[in-house]
Amino acid sequence: MKNIVIGRFIPGSSFLYKMDPRTKIIVLILLMVSAFLVRSLSLIAFGLMLLMVVLIVGRISVKRVLLGLRPLMFLLIFTFSFQIFFNTAGELVFTTTLAYSPGGLGVVVLLWFFWWFTRRRIPFKLLYFLVVLIASGTLLSLFSYGPIFTTSTIEVYSQGLEMALFIMLRLVIIVTLSTILTLTTKPTDLNLGLEAVLKPFKLIRVNTEEMAMIISISLRYIPTLLDEANKIILAQASRGVDFSEGKLKEKLMQIVSLLVPMFIISFKRSDELASAMEARSFVPGRPRTRLHQLTWRPMDTVALCFGLIILSTVIVLRVIGW
Amino acid sequence: MIEIRDLSFEYQTGKPVLHDINLSIKKGEWVTILGHNGSGKSTLSKLIVGLLKPKTGSVVVDGLTLSHDTVHAIRRKVGIVFQNPDNQFVGVTVRDDIAFGLENLQVPREDMIERIERFAQKVGMTEFLNKEPHALSGGQKQRVAIAGILAMDTDVIIFDEATSMLDPKGRRMIVDYMRQLNREGVTILTITHDMKEAVLSDRIVILKEGKILLDDQAELVLNNRDMLEQSNLELLLPLRVRHALKERGLKHPELEALLWASSSNK
Repeated sequence: MKNIVIGRFIPGSSFLYKMDPRTKIIVLILLMVSAFLVRSLSLIAFGLMLLMVVLIVGRISVKRVLLGLRPLMFLLIFTFSFQIFFNTAGELVFTTTLAYSPGGLGVVVLLWFFWWFTRRRIPFKLLYFLVVLIASGTLLSLFSYGPIFTTSTIEVYSQGLEMALFIMLRLVIIVTLSTILTLTTKPTDLNLGLEAVLKPFKLIRVNTEEMAMIISISLRYIPTLLDEANKIILAQASRGVDFSEGKLKEKLMQIVSLLVPMFIISFKRSDELASAMEARSFVPGRPRTRLHQLTWRPMDTVALCFGLIILSTVIVLRVIGW
Repeated sequence: MIEIRDLSFEYQTGKPVLHDINLSIKKGEWVTILGHNGSGKSTLSKLIVGLLKPKTGSVVVDGLTLSHDTVHAIRRKVGIVFQNPDNQFVGVTVRDDIAFGLENLQVPREDMIERIERFAQKVGMTEFLNKEPHALSGGQKQRVAIAGILAMDTDVIIFDEATSMLDPKGRRMIVDYMRQLNREGVTILTITHDMKEAVLSDRIVILKEGKILLDDQAELVLNNRDMLEQSNLELLLPLRVRHALKERGLKHPELEALLWASSSNK
């Protein structure tokens, strides 16, 4: 439970830390739009290289960024394989025939049995799964013993490969960009930045200050509520509920036994918090002064220009058909 | 400072929580409201700052009668430290939390920074200013809550069972701050069922089932065993010993004085 950390701030001192959160948010949006507008593999690869330079100059550990990519692993692999196997445009790059014979299938089944019993002890589960998957494919294409029931061919086309790489790089870029933002911006600053960036929405009567307050209180209570959830899990576990095992139906029951107390506690908490806030003269919608103030530096102007240049270049390139 | 007249309150009609409360608290006084669970003591504190609306009766704070128009002015004069340290910590850090009330009062930023420093120092939390709440103990969070209220320059602080969720060390510390603040002229209202906290105050009001059972000097109330038993409160140990001695006909004025002194180490 403790591992669920959404957008964790890691203290540091590079230029990315000194930038105004407003700049970071706006540049992030500009670069994301650019990433979506780019259509060629070479350009997106160039974008990733540029991003790497930013990471290095900004002294951000690549490991942290990779950790940010982890929840997306499944999506990445899925889109990658989908493109590779089902996109049949362009030239044929690679082909192989899988032969299904009793001997080959037997070995593969054994391999999967082995996988099933050992997977819990291996740290990189997804990687392990992929290795076994590729190994069984290779086995079927190379090894056949006895009569062959049927065969199937795997064909990889150049466009499929290109698209697979392209989509993967684009996802990596987008996630890395947002990871940079959350890694280098304190939640309070992020909140202030968001509030400032969302200010235009005031014209359509969205109360941005209240939204900012809601976001900041939610941020404040995430660790508290996680602690609470841990306590409830322990309390339920001591009464015989096992949260790690069980079938889907049992899992659902376990979630209910966690969610019901969590909801009740949260409502009680928010009621008390509302009292405490009111007792300290908080009136929703009334103007407040701010302890934290954002300062715009020359560096921010530079960063903003950088973002704008990239976006306009990408638009120009797209118009001339790159 | 606070005048409560004929105050009644009920959450549901027909089930009064407080009934005809009359209470007057002078400036600089330290009053304890003592009562068992469900005696209505926490409801009383919420009524004083207008978090709840009384059914009948009135609350006057420093000459202002509590109403829709005066409620904000009254909240500037009366601060509350609530029971659960976690549920009153609004800011993401200690600094932000002390600033919260000041931001609400639209204090200018420069002034705010100065006041945060001053009051964080007062409650000994200066080195924790950039810490997040989950890195603090319950006692430290309550100290931050006190600093937040002091920074707002209130005249009265209500401690609504503020020590009941703390460990003994945190509790002692908060009680020490109460004592110090009272000496500096802050009017203090403690709401508690802890006799050890009550013994330090000037006056004790015992609340039972929404009515005032007794309102007298601390020493007299604490020695009134019949009344305490009636409201399910226990006599402090040294005082129990003193009573036991008396019951057995043992007279020892020196020992009696010592026992009283040990229970109220002012």
